[in-house]
Amino acid sequence: MKLPLALFTLLSCGALAQHTSNWAVLVSTSRFWFNYRHLANVLSMYRTVKRLGIPDSQIILMLSDDIACNPRNAFPGTVYNNADRALDLYGDNIEVDYRGYEVTVENFIRLLTDRVEPDTPRSKRLLTDDRSNIFIYMTGHGGNEFLKFQDAEEISAFDIADAFEQMWEKKRYHEMLFMIDTCQANTMYSKFYSKNILATGSSKLDESSYSHHADNDVGVAVIDRYTYYNLEFLENNVQSASSKHTMKDLFDSYETEKIHSTPGVRTDLFKRDLKDVLITDFFGNVQNVEIDGEDEQKWKEDVLQLSKLAVDFTMPGRKNGTCASAKASVETSAPAVKKVGAVRVEGNKGWSRNAMGVGALLACAAAWVAGSALS
Amino acid sequence: MRLLSWPSVTQLLLAPLVIASASEYNDYSENLLLKSLPGNSLLASFRFVSNGTFDSHHSVFPRSLAQILQQSQTKELHLKFTLGRWDAEQWGRQVWDGRTAGGTGVELWAWVDAADDAEADARWTTLNNALSGLFCASLNFIDSTRTIRPVMSFQPAGHHSPEGLERLHLLHGTLPREPVCTENLTPFLKLLPCKGKAGISSLLDGHRLFDAQWQSMSIDVKPVCEEDGKCQLQMEQTKPYAGGDSCFPLSGVTDLPWSLSEMFGRPIRGSCPLAVVPTEEATHVCVNIAEQRSIFVSQGSEERKKSPELRCFILHENIDFDIVLPELSPSTNLLPTTPPVYASRSLTGHGQERGGIQAVLNNPSSNSTVEFVYLESLPWFMKPYLHTLSATISGKDDRNIIQDIYYRPALDRKRGTQLEVRLRVPPGETVLLNYEFDKAVLRYTEYPPDANRGFDIAPAVISILDPASQKSTFSIRTTSLLLSLPTPDFSMPYNVIILTSTVMALAFGSIFNILVRRFVGADEVIGGGLVSKIRGHIMAFAAKRGRAGGDKPKTE
Repeated sequence: MKLPLALFTLLSCGALAQHTSNWAVLVSTSRFWFNYRHLANVLSMYRTVKRLGIPDSQIILMLSDDIACNPRNAFPGTVYNNADRALDLYGDNIEVDYRGYEVTVENFIRLLTDRVEPDTPRSKRLLTDDRSNIFIYMTGHGGNEFLKFQDAEEISAFDIADAFEQMWEKKRYHEMLFMIDTCQANTMYSKFYSKNILATGSSKLDESSYSHHADNDVGVAVIDRYTYYNLEFLENNVQSASSKHTMKDLFDSYETEKIHSTPGVRTDLFKRDLKDVLITDFFGNVQNVEIDGEDEQKWKEDVLQLSKLAVDFTMPGRKNGTCASAKASVETSAPAVKKVGAVRVEGNKGWSRNAMGVGALLACAAAWVAGSALS
Repeated sequence: MRLLSWPSVTQLLLAPLVIASASEYNDYSENLLLKSLPGNSLLASFRFVSNGTFDSHHSVFPRSLAQILQQSQTKELHLKFTLGRWDAEQWGRQVWDGRTAGGTGVELWAWVDAADDAEADARWTTLNNALSGLFCASLNFIDSTRTIRPVMSFQPAGHHSPEGLERLHLLHGTLPREPVCTENLTPFLKLLPCKGKAGISSLLDGHRLFDAQWQSMSIDVKPVCEEDGKCQLQMEQTKPYAGGDSCFPLSGVTDLPWSLSEMFGRPIRGSCPLAVVPTEEATHVCVNIAEQRSIFVSQGSEERKKSPELRCFILHENIDFDIVLPELSPSTNLLPTTPPVYASRSLTGHGQERGGIQAVLNNPSSNSTVEFVYLESLPWFMKPYLHTLSATISGKDDRNIIQDIYYRPALDRKRGTQLEVRLRVPPGETVLLNYEFDKAVLRYTEYPPDANRGFDIAPAVISILDPASQKSTFSIRTTSLLLSLPTPDFSMPYNVIILTSTVMALAFGSIFNILVRRFVGADEVIGGGLVSKIRGHIMAFAAKRGRAGGDKPKTE
């Protein structure tokens, strides 16, 4: 019984090897102004995926510090990734989902595995399923099998590998592209063991990653080399979401002489041939619709239920049924409970209180005298 | 080039929105007040008012916010994002009685409907988390340690029924460290019906706004009821903005020229077609400048002169609108209006163990006493001593200054201190309010990544009270403070581990050697090299063995 079922699942997976949504998780992990380039890296990627169609609601942007409105920034509300300052990465329309102190290892792993607090808003959750392709980009300062967060804590290669395995077990992704730009970046994906992950990094073990160039008016380096050449390829070749360039083209464009470190690619977990994997499978947005089952009646019923839910949610006044009325009656009938709060501080106005204190002292003294007299 | 000569310009962007829960209030209006301030500054105050209902599909009131309010049972909401310092001594009193400006960072207070405190706290958490998602700010950091329940400082601005009021819980939270940037402005614009594409909101460009000396963005939602019982909810949002440095050599001598497109980088793109038709009273743009200054506006707009110093304009829907003011010498600035109180606050004392706070509160009026509530919301690691609280006028301790004190002490890692003091300051006097505090030592993991920067202390809120009704009529915020706590050297654990390991190795090694080895003089050693040593050992062993073997039969 089990074998045919497994076989069927396997076959159906092969038949439906398509994704129906694209998500991006873009993480900069460095605090402080001199790490401007890491935020510029991430914002460049943000701009690229947005340009290729992934909406803000499907991009989780984690910015570890306020760079755009930093008092040191000579160009307020602006972040540049090039000294020509032709393109403002911050723009007029940006949604930062995790910022400042919120960018922690814990929050990152909670985001990936969706083990979040019940009140977490949708914009801070990765609401993916087994048909979602996820692009994860990380940048910061790292070392052999670790990446520093906020200059205060580290995430290890094992942590990420285990988080990805948990995602795979929970059917939270279909395929994943993991890209990392940090020193000794390739060690970060060396511990992965989950399926369908394609990984790439900027430098191998014992190699640093370098910044590309600095802007003298901004005063610091504005972008890292690996990200710079990735962007160069994407900007020049992937003009629209209908681009037919493949991941192989992107990986073939890497040149050690330009990047000044040895970029790495890990494909052993990824089952498709890179020649067949479009760049837009991860950087773009597809809207494939998957319809399972032939039963037309069923989805019509579902749609009806959904619209009822929507009506109930948007128009609580028109809610029908006992549930709403019961709730309303509860609201009106429940008595207000005494609120806790600040207590008024009384001055030394009451003589009675002083008299009571003196009285208590006298009583104690009397008891002591009586006790000693009796003994 | 022009911008550099423009820097000393203040702009206040004031953007209130009103929601109504009756469909006939489903409308929207907007206006902009440009006010010339001393020191060649300009205040731009944007106001957006939306009336809407929760159950309308086509409301101008943003559904995203309405859903949050419903979910968390919030009846009245005040959310402020502020950056910079309002220079009251130079610019005078704030517009809209200071109601629309918050303290540095983020300030949020709300009246939440709940049966008891636990439920109120739960709904407050829901509200904070939802707003953090909507406004891209770390509002989820407003936890129990940053929440207070003020008693005297705030009163509901909207209409609430007496029974409803019984169930409302006022909660107040602050995040003085929170930056305000484009990602906060983006959702603000998305709440407006014209989304910043047309009307006065088209001026709201992050690049210019965040170059300000002071700016505030506020969202106020309150229910407003008619006599027939129909209610509406009002939301007010402010973003004040002041740009530039004041080292321009001619500052104060001439009035610098300015225009809207120079100040904001673009002109107003027509009027918002979704706004109500402007009337004589409700115009789109008003300019408050000295009478002598000439003013040029683009064609297609109608002028309404309300007073010599207040000129208003009605915009055409499809024509860009710009205002140009030429240079004028000598300077014709309007006199700044005096605020009810000048307030400043600073840290006193030295060292990392304890400190003090001094607030200087000055009543500029020459004939009337001012009464106000001074509210402090302190973090738990700052432990004030209430018995050290003193209010002095010209060095003399005066018992009549402090009228009333409400106090809630801190609990370590659970809640912060709340201190509300009602003060009465005689005309022309300056009161010094002092108290001392101890600094707590944090745990290693409780320090933020940039612990050496210090810890931000939320601004004090000063609410001026109306003598008759005891309701707050005007509010002022002091600046935030930067408190330095004893901060460990964060590499110390590694140092400790390394040092301990070294000591362990040295101590263990030598003691172990002494215990298990036998030390002999060099001359007692048989032979010289290793080979002879081994040979010696073997021979000694063999001799011993032989002796033992020889002895054996004898004993048996």
